[in-house]
Amino acid sequence: GRGGMKGGSKVIVEPHRHEGVFVAKGKEDALVTKNMVPGEAVYNEKRIAVQNEDGTKVEYRVWNPFRSKLAAAILGGVDNIWIKPGAKVLYLGAASGTTVSHVSDVVGPTGVVYAVEFSHRSGRDLVNMAKKRTNVIPIIEDARHPSKYRMLVGMVDVIFSDVAQPDQARILALNASYFLKAGGHFVISIKANCIDSTVPAEAVFQSEVKKLQQEQFKPFEQVTLEPFERDHACVVGGYRMPKKQKAGQ
Amino acid sequence: MALYLLYESASGYALFQAQGLDEIGQNTEAVRNSVADLNRFGKVVQLTAFHPFESALDSLNQCNSVSEGLMTDELRSFLELNLPKVKEGKKSKFSVGVAEPKLGSHISETTKITCQSGEFVLELLRGVRLHFDKFIKDLKPGDLEKAQLGLGHSYSRAKVKFNVNRVDNMVI
Repeated sequence: GRGGMKGGSKVIVEPHRHEGVFVAKGKEDALVTKNMVPGEAVYNEKRIAVQNEDGTKVEYRVWNPFRSKLAAAILGGVDNIWIKPGAKVLYLGAASGTTVSHVSDVVGPTGVVYAVEFSHRSGRDLVNMAKKRTNVIPIIEDARHPSKYRMLVGMVDVIFSDVAQPDQARILALNASYFLKAGGHFVISIKANCIDSTVPAEAVFQSEVKKLQQEQFKPFEQVTLEPFERDHACVVGGYRMPKKQKAGQ
Repeated sequence: MALYLLYESASGYALFQAQGLDEIGQNTEAVRNSVADLNRFGKVVQLTAFHPFESALDSLNQCNSVSEGLMTDELRSFLELNLPKVKEGKKSKFSVGVAEPKLGSHISETTKITCQSGEFVLELLRGVRLHFDKFIKDLKPGDLEKAQLGLGHSYSRAKVKFNVNRVDNMVI
């Protein structure tokens, strides 16, 4: 059986503090996103249909923090993910597209997700997923060489990076120099032992933050992805921020 | 020396002329400050010509070549048609800013058109990317994303096709 989140009248879905993200309140609370393609799951995740007062139905998909670093960062209490309805997002390290599908739900029909993945094996799943989600533009190319896909990408509001490479700060900086608006934002997931496994994780995070600061990034906050991922942190911040900081930025 | 800019979009090739840069003095920081505001940027950079791609197949061919740093016949005729003529045996009195040096050297070798790339050109091209749909009158809101979507799919589909030379592929 499906167990747990069965939907129906027992489950109430409420908006999360982050716009475009929701919480399903049942026996256990679960993070969910509003399904862009009702009736379809992407990776066998559970779906919850909720009936509105006017009788219309809305379908949500459960967002598993053990399978998605962005979901883990949200549950870790990150202050702002900057990914919201209508946003244009460049997603580096899209893999098979599980998290990309939730980002696609969050930005909705007026947003765009440029999803970059180099591995052809996971790229195949990504391309297939994107067939049904018209706000996802799949790009099978090396994120180290943004000039190779410069024809496919416009200016974006946010870059989300999950490339797990030793030079990931440089990869983010290079992509930002091509595609990220001044005053735009970045969200980067850092896996400590992908960068340097000989020093403590916290030292790796600190040195990565320093590298970002040298590339016109202004880190705002850092959250741990424990207990969902070991020795991972998520750093969020702005790019080429205006000298005078306005309130709320 | 006059500076042109080549911008490759999913909808077609565009050529811009950058003017009044003497005041800015090829200063990256100054360009950075003028880029955000279309009123200011539009005075510095003006559209010279736009060549829309003919079909989905055409745009895929152009994208594959641009990605590899190669000039196609279509790009060559677009440049030769819209740039001032270069006299035989003489150097051009202008240069074209391109995003990527490899494409620049391929253009220079075959056409004698001087090309340049680097931080300053990339900074100008950031501005073009930010305002592109406002420069091209024929593009309605959403048209560019549609072109990117179609091209992204065809470009990526070709990449993940079964290829014996890649170890990454699954053996079926």
